[in-house]
Formats: sequence, structure tokens, C-alpha cells
Amino acid sequence: MSADGNTKIKLQSNDNAFIELDRQVAERSILIKHMLEDLGEAALGQTIPIPNVTEPVLRKVVEWCEHHRNDPPSTADEESDNRKKTTEIEEWDQKFMQVDQEMLFEIILASNYLDIKPLLDVGCKTVANMIKGKSPEEIRKTFNITNDFTPEEEEQIRRENEWAEDR
Amino acid sequence: LADLLNMCTTQQLSFVHQFVSPLLKKDPFTSLPDELCLRILSFIDDPQVLARASQVSRRWRDLLSDDVTWKNLCVKHDYGRRLSEVSYGVPSYAPRRPSAVPLSDPEFVNHSFPGAVPTALAGVPSHQPSHSFEGLRSTASSPRPKLRSYKSHFKQRYLVESAWRTGGRNTTRTITQDNRVVTSLHLTPKYIVVALDNARIHIFDREGNALRTLSGHVMGVWAMVPWEDTLVSGGCDRDVRVWDMTTGTCMHTLRGHTSTVRCLKMSDSSTAISGSRDTTLRIWDIRQGVCRNVLVGHQASVRCLEIKGDIVVSGSYDATAKIWSISEGRCLHTLSGHFSQIYAIAFDGHRVITGSLDTSVRVWDAHTGEAIAVLQGHTSLVGQLQLRGNTLVTGGSDGSVRVWSLEKMCPIHRLAAHDNSVTSLQFDDTRVVSGGSDGRVKVWDVKTGHLVRELIAAESVWRVVFEDEKCVAVANRGSRVMMEVWSFSPPEDAY
Repeated sequence: MSADGNTKIKLQSNDNAFIELDRQVAERSILIKHMLEDLGEAALGQTIPIPNVTEPVLRKVVEWCEHHRNDPPSTADEESDNRKKTTEIEEWDQKFMQVDQEMLFEIILASNYLDIKPLLDVGCKTVANMIKGKSPEEIRKTFNITNDFTPEEEEQIRRENEWAEDR
Repeated sequence: LADLLNMCTTQQLSFVHQFVSPLLKKDPFTSLPDELCLRILSFIDDPQVLARASQVSRRWRDLLSDDVTWKNLCVKHDYGRRLSEVSYGVPSYAPRRPSAVPLSDPEFVNHSFPGAVPTALAGVPSHQPSHSFEGLRSTASSPRPKLRSYKSHFKQRYLVESAWRTGGRNTTRTITQDNRVVTSLHLTPKYIVVALDNARIHIFDREGNALRTLSGHVMGVWAMVPWEDTLVSGGCDRDVRVWDMTTGTCMHTLRGHTSTVRCLKMSDSSTAISGSRDTTLRIWDIRQGVCRNVLVGHQASVRCLEIKGDIVVSGSYDATAKIWSISEGRCLHTLSGHFSQIYAIAFDGHRVITGSLDTSVRVWDAHTGEAIAVLQGHTSLVGQLQLRGNTLVTGGSDGSVRVWSLEKMCPIHRLAAHDNSVTSLQFDDTRVVSGGSDGRVKVWDVKTGHLVRELIAAESVWRVVFEDEKCVAVANRGSRVMMEVWSFSPPEDAY
């Protein structure tokens, strides 16, 4: 079927906000892409409900899709390749991900649900980078995590992991 | 709210900040489902980061004990899991044994010697030509349980790798008090065996403790091959001797060659094949103690040989290599093309590789006998080669070690390895270890071609062999022959 990139698609967030966007942008989401393919002509003009995602998050995700509308679709191979590679994130994406943690995790959840692998990976890499190079206490501070180990447990797990410190 | 904040003093804002900022923070691993948490962790390839993360909280510890993360890490670090390690193409008509160790003069090396341990467990031949290596391994060199989590596997490999880079324990033994030539060195699942030009063969345990000396040859021993507890040796006195290494007794003295025995290999537990300066190869039944066949055809000294299944390939000073059928006792193909003596040969059942004094390395089709490629680059004699899958590593008297791709028939790395001749080299999936007459033993990363470490500095290195967690070198130092045994095994209490 001929996918006209300029056809408008309307998404409905779970808090009943409507967001209109080009079909080409919407199809960055594999979930939506498949949905539109299944519906065929009947899809045109219909509103697609996105029940798991709130308006601010959905707007953020759409913003990302707009920016990356012309990216080549990723293949399965590329994906495994990318995961082997470093956690480098392109500059625009880095800025895009400068949001509070709540929003960051919501974006990860939404991109997972909508099946937007590149965005999911940017999100995951962002979190991974927040973990890297930190001591356990610094990680706790970063994410406001309570240390729920007993001192004995803490000592034991420290000893179990000593091997990785020795380099 | 904005108006309210605008009215605040800096102090008040700082209070608000302190109050608010933790509220904006959230534990990703309690906010997200396991599958996404593990995806986040899959972007971390530094074990130190993971180890630290596992100390954050119980939830983090539990997530990090998930083996998927460590499995990913094993993949990223190429720490193939031992039991699932993929074997490289073992030819169909070859038995599962390696081209064992070529023996000969000191310039020659234990090339086709895929002796690294992990492959052995995967059903890939170890250098010990034993079909029952599984059992041998478990008793001799693998005290740890074979099946374990990816995390402990990763940890083990990680510790071994860092020991290769910067750690390890070594012991040094004196083999002789005088300057002698070490002609061959073998590391088997049970023994370290060293042969010298003074007619002696020394047997040590794998830690380097002397077990016994085999005396009987009356002149220098120039070739030997171990098979479990049996050793077959030959040299200047023209005799091929069969030894029981458990007792040190000589079971057979096989006569027939009319000049120095230069190379020896075994094709099964009762068949040894020797090549000699008398231009012939002899096929021996070492159980019966008889010569089963003489392979005649070369015009000069037979310098190197290699066996796979019923096929033996030989390289000669007549500048040709020959492919023979062992059972039929006849020459199937003669490989002509080199301009001078062939010093080294490798054979995987499909391809024959030859290294020559003419500085070239040639690749031949073993089935048709046709030349496939000529690999140029060395500037002097190519005396060492090892073939493993589609990777070939060569070493020469020009001091360089070259890593080649046989898929593309082109060089991958050119290592300026030694100031003088490369006397010995071996490689596996991870590293190349080379020894030179400049007295150095060097460890290289086979993927990047970078020097990892200079393991030994002596006056002249005769031979070096290694396995996953062990490396043995014999070298001259202070006009003595010394043996260094290196262990890279993590301490037992690490488990």
C-alpha cells in the first residue's frame, strides 16, 4: 500500500488529549505502523487511542519522532550491533533526554509500549550513563534509593564484588 | 507557584531545591519492569559498574544476579562459554584431533598447536591428541565445575584475562647447566615435555616439577610427539623411540631412517609418522613396533609434516609439499610453486599452508592440489605457522609476526614482534604468544594486534606454548637452559 507521508493521523492520549501528526512520523512507532497497515484505508481519519501514555509524555515522544522522521528504519541486525557498541548518544537526543527522571522513565515505558526501538535505546542508554562511573552510594544519591541492606549483607556483597575492583 | 518562588530569597530557594530535588529522583529499577531494567543494564559493558550497581540495594542486587546481563557481558567480551563454544570447522574426513606439534630444529615452532584449553572442552581438538580428552581435562586441568552461571564464568574469565595482562604467578626451573638447544616443548593435560640437542628428554608435571628423564637417544633429539602417556621421539641418531612417560621406559626403538629424523606426528594412538633428512616419511605402528610403510618421493630432507585423518602432508627442502594417503601409502598430489626450501606446514583437512625460505606463504587446496593464494609480506624465511579456522598466523626470521585472514587472503595485522628471528608462536581466539631469539616472550591481542605484555626477558627463547590459563617457555639465560611456567588461574578461594 502506498504510504503517503503527509496523511494526518490523530492520536489520543490516556488523558484524552488529541495530537495530530504526519503518518510518516507516527510510523516511527512500529505498533502504530502495524495498526495502520492492518486497518488499511479504514484507518484514515480515525483517531488512535494510546491508552498507556499521558499527554506530556506522548507530546515528548512525538517530538522525538518528528526530529527523527527521516531516519532509516533499524533492522534487527543493526540493533544487535548497536547494543554491542558504546553508549554514545547523539547531541540532539542528549538534549532531548534532559528531563526529570520521572519523565525519562515514562518515555522509556512509552517507547517500549509503542515499539520505537531507537528511542527506547536512547532512554536506556541515558539511564545506563547515569549509573556509570559511580560508587554504590553515589548511585543511591542519583536516584534517591534507600540502602536496604543490613551492614552484614552490605559487607558480604562488597566482598563478593571485590574482584571487579581489582584491575 | 511561579510568583511564589519569585518572591523567595536565595536561601529559601536553596531550601526548596534541597526539598524538591529528591522528590524528582526515582529509582529506575523500581519504576520499570524487569525486562526494561535488564535492557538498561545491557548497555553497560564494564563489570566494575555492574559490580558496584549490585551493591546499591536489594532490588538492584537481585536484578544484577540475573544471568542474562552476564551472558551479554560474556558475549561482549568474547568470553565464549566453555561448553557452548563453537568449534571451528573440523573437516569431515579428519578425526577430531589437531595437527599436533611440529618438531624440529630450534627455528621451528609448535605451530599448529591449538592447545588452548577452552576449545578442548568444546570438542575441538586439544593439542593432546586424545580422543578422551574430556575425561583427561576434568581430572587434570579443570578442577572447577564445568557448568556454572554466566556470572561466575564471566568472573573467572575476567580474572584470567587480567592475570594475562598484569598478573600471574611464575616458577623458574633450570633444565641444564650448560648452553643447549631446546628442540621441542609440549604442554599436555598431564605433562610438560622438553627435548634437547644433548639427546635428553625431560618430563615435568604441569607445575614444572621434574618427574623423569628419558635416556636412550645417543644424539640430539629433534622431533617428538606426545599422545596421552606415550611419547614418540627421533633425532640425529636416526632412531624413532617409543616411550612410556609414566615409567620412563623405552618400549620400542624403531630403525629404518638413514638420516636425521626431522619431524614426527601421530594420527592415532598406534600410528606415528616420521619425516627425515633421508627424504622419506615412514609410517610406524608403535604398538607392534614395526614400520608399516615408507613414503618415497621427496628429493630432499622432509622438514615438516601434518596429519588429518588418513591424509598426511609433508614439506621438504626440495621446495615441494606432498599430500599422501596413509592407508594407501601413496602420494596424491605434489604442491609445486615455492622457489626454495619449505620449513613449515599447516593443514586443516581442506587447505594446506606452507612457509618457505623464499619468504612467501602459500595456500593450497588439499583436494585438488591446486594453489589458491600466495601471501607475500615476510622478508625472510617463514618458519612458523598456525592455522585456526580462517585465521593464519605466521612468523619469520625477519622478526615479524603476521596475522592473515584466509577469507580475504590478506593480512590483518603485521606485528614488529622481535628484533631477531621468531622462534616460536601460538595463538588462540584471544591472543598470540610469540618467542624470539631476542630473548623475549610477547603476548599480543589477536583482534587488535596490540602488544599486551612482555612476559619474559631472557637471552634467547627456544620455545613457548600456552593454554587458557598457563604458559610455558624455555629459554637460555646466564648460559643455562631455563624453563618458566606461568599460571594465570584465579585463586581457588575466588569461588
